[in-house]
Amino acid sequence: MSRWGRLGLLALGAILIVLPLPLTPNLINAAIKMMIAGLFALSFSLAMGQAGMLSFGHSAYYGLGAFATLHLMKAVEGHLLAWPTPLLPLAGAVVGLFFGLVFGWLATQRTGVYFAMVTLALAELLFTLAPTWTSVFGGESGISTMRMNSWAINFATDTGVYYLTLAWVVVSTWCLWAFTRTPMGRLALAVRENEHRVRFLGFNTHGARTVIFGISTMFTGVAGSLLAIANEATNYTIFSAQASANVVLQTFIGGSGTFFGPALGAAVMTFFARVTSDLTRSWLLYQGVIFVIVMLFVPDGIGGLISLHARRLRATAIRHLTVPYLLCLVVGVLLMIGVVFTVESVHVVMSDAYAVLRRTNGGGMVPYPLFGRQFDPWSPWTWAIPVGSILAGAALLPIARRLTRRGWSQALLEKTA
Amino acid sequence: MEFLVVSVLNGVVHGLLLFMVSAGLTLIFGMMGVLNFAHAWFYMLGAYVGFTLSRTVGFWAGLIAAPIIAGAGGALVERYMLRRVHKYGHAHELLLTFGLAFIIEEVIKLLYGDFPVNYAMPPYMKFAAFTIYETNYPFYRLFMGIVALAMFAVLYVVLTRTRVGIIVRAATYRPVMVEALGHNLPVVFMGVFAAGAGLAGLAGAVAGAFFPTGPNMAVDFGTLVFVVVVVGGLGSLEGALVASLMIGLFISFSVGFSWSLSDVLALVGLGDWARAVGGILTLQLSTIAASMPFLLMLLVLLIRPAGLFGDRQ
Repeated sequence: MSRWGRLGLLALGAILIVLPLPLTPNLINAAIKMMIAGLFALSFSLAMGQAGMLSFGHSAYYGLGAFATLHLMKAVEGHLLAWPTPLLPLAGAVVGLFFGLVFGWLATQRTGVYFAMVTLALAELLFTLAPTWTSVFGGESGISTMRMNSWAINFATDTGVYYLTLAWVVVSTWCLWAFTRTPMGRLALAVRENEHRVRFLGFNTHGARTVIFGISTMFTGVAGSLLAIANEATNYTIFSAQASANVVLQTFIGGSGTFFGPALGAAVMTFFARVTSDLTRSWLLYQGVIFVIVMLFVPDGIGGLISLHARRLRATAIRHLTVPYLLCLVVGVLLMIGVVFTVESVHVVMSDAYAVLRRTNGGGMVPYPLFGRQFDPWSPWTWAIPVGSILAGAALLPIARRLTRRGWSQALLEKTA
Repeated sequence: MEFLVVSVLNGVVHGLLLFMVSAGLTLIFGMMGVLNFAHAWFYMLGAYVGFTLSRTVGFWAGLIAAPIIAGAGGALVERYMLRRVHKYGHAHELLLTFGLAFIIEEVIKLLYGDFPVNYAMPPYMKFAAFTIYETNYPFYRLFMGIVALAMFAVLYVVLTRTRVGIIVRAATYRPVMVEALGHNLPVVFMGVFAAGAGLAGLAGAVAGAFFPTGPNMAVDFGTLVFVVVVVGGLGSLEGALVASLMIGLFISFSVGFSWSLSDVLALVGLGDWARAVGGILTLQLSTIAASMPFLLMLLVLLIRPAGLFGDRQ
């Protein structure tokens, strides 16, 4: 790892340690969820990014880790056994590892799309069984319990949970990173690139893939545990295909080819979801659009983009790119304004509230409220906002692309000079 | 006996509907290697197009427009999106269609709201075709079956009796060779993708008027379609037909049975033990009917990943 990378990590660590001081409880909770999502994405990415196993059922191990932890917490609450709260994620780790090895042994017999389908089938089986299996998964309502204070740490507030989560996420991340440096971790890369050749070299690739999958699900189990500790409850929806899909989306938006990319993607998208889900009901649409745009135009994700700049450019060469990137930002904002305005307008106009408003005003297309203002559906000014900003963005896009390309070639020249 | 006959009829019709959607999916996979996640969302699109037109123009206009619009959508997706990411590999293509499914569903929710819409067949089609053992069998179920059979006949003739069909079938097996012989493979891909999406759209417009049309229809149907395609063998049309009928029959029968594992164990004298253990052993078949297709898919993937009729894995 480069000097800058190391400094960056230290700075990030320092920020994370002092972060809860200025934050409101709501934001601390958001930070906890972001870290958990980051760990989930990192562990998923060990299977996907490192070993090339696209799993569509990682929510199974996430959920099993959460349920195992909740059962342990219930046992502690009922004084059946004494287990310190900070060590609860071990339950998730054990359950994640166990089921990861068992299910993984089955799933890794197949590769590619077939592997994805086996993992999907396993997760869907759990999802459909869980609500009917009340004794283990608590039926439709799930199970809930309470955190206990232990080791003289107060876990009644979010701050205590924050530091517990931070400690586990840091340790797990370090373990996952260290794993990529071990011979086994190198083997994972080799299996991804050419499994036939690895087998020909005498390795047991099925065994290797099973172990790698198990390690991935072990840390997924830890992430599920942390979620259970933070929420103190869960139900069968944690197994849903939606949860598995989310981690896939976040990992690819962050960039599955880099180590920290998935965590970055997960943290950003979790925060995005938290902020936008309060503001608009169409946030899933925006999330889908972001994902498709990343898939189409940035196949290596945010992390890939950052590492491209870090690898290819000197720090001083960035100045060639400031103007083009600012222009790109302007284009992005213009297009975003156009799309968001259109979507939100449609949403308001199609809503029941607007239908009521129309009926009380004689059935015509009355002005609709949006962003704290009134817009007249038939006024050309209303239409000018989305049409104008999209047209302006589309007109500027080729210029921005040309300037960016020129900036890049100048920046690359500086390195060779 | 009544239960048996009605269940068989319902199962066959449901199976034929499943086949209408899975035919396109399995052809696309066989040819392009792309597992199109968004396929069932074209079914949903078709249902909503049918709903919109049945309110304004008429039911039959919806039936005609739905496959055209879904097919055009499919062509655009293939031409301007899938082709772009083809060079990054199959995982990327799969994920792109997955993102598209998301967008289609959310746009439909944006336009039509989060609740099922009232898409109904025209009143003159609401009559009983015949009566078996006091059960009035709705004509519309037969109609759905007839549409699916007609579609199967057309597809079969096109694929086996025309030049286009020869090229499509050849491209499923040896795409590189077909291209080397001078056929425009990208256009063939686009055509198959559009045709598959169009069939799904038609199925949606037909089935949506009978089954509920709502934001969940694609997820519910889509997972079943996956199961059908995997069980039948990815890329195999015959396999898809047989698996569709199997799963359709299975679903229509399983809702009526209250067997559980403990009843099976009772046959060997372990019934009391099983009931004492409870949990998974006493779940009734009808309550876990939703899990069974996945169990079937899992078994097929593990034991014979090529599926019933597939010839590769």
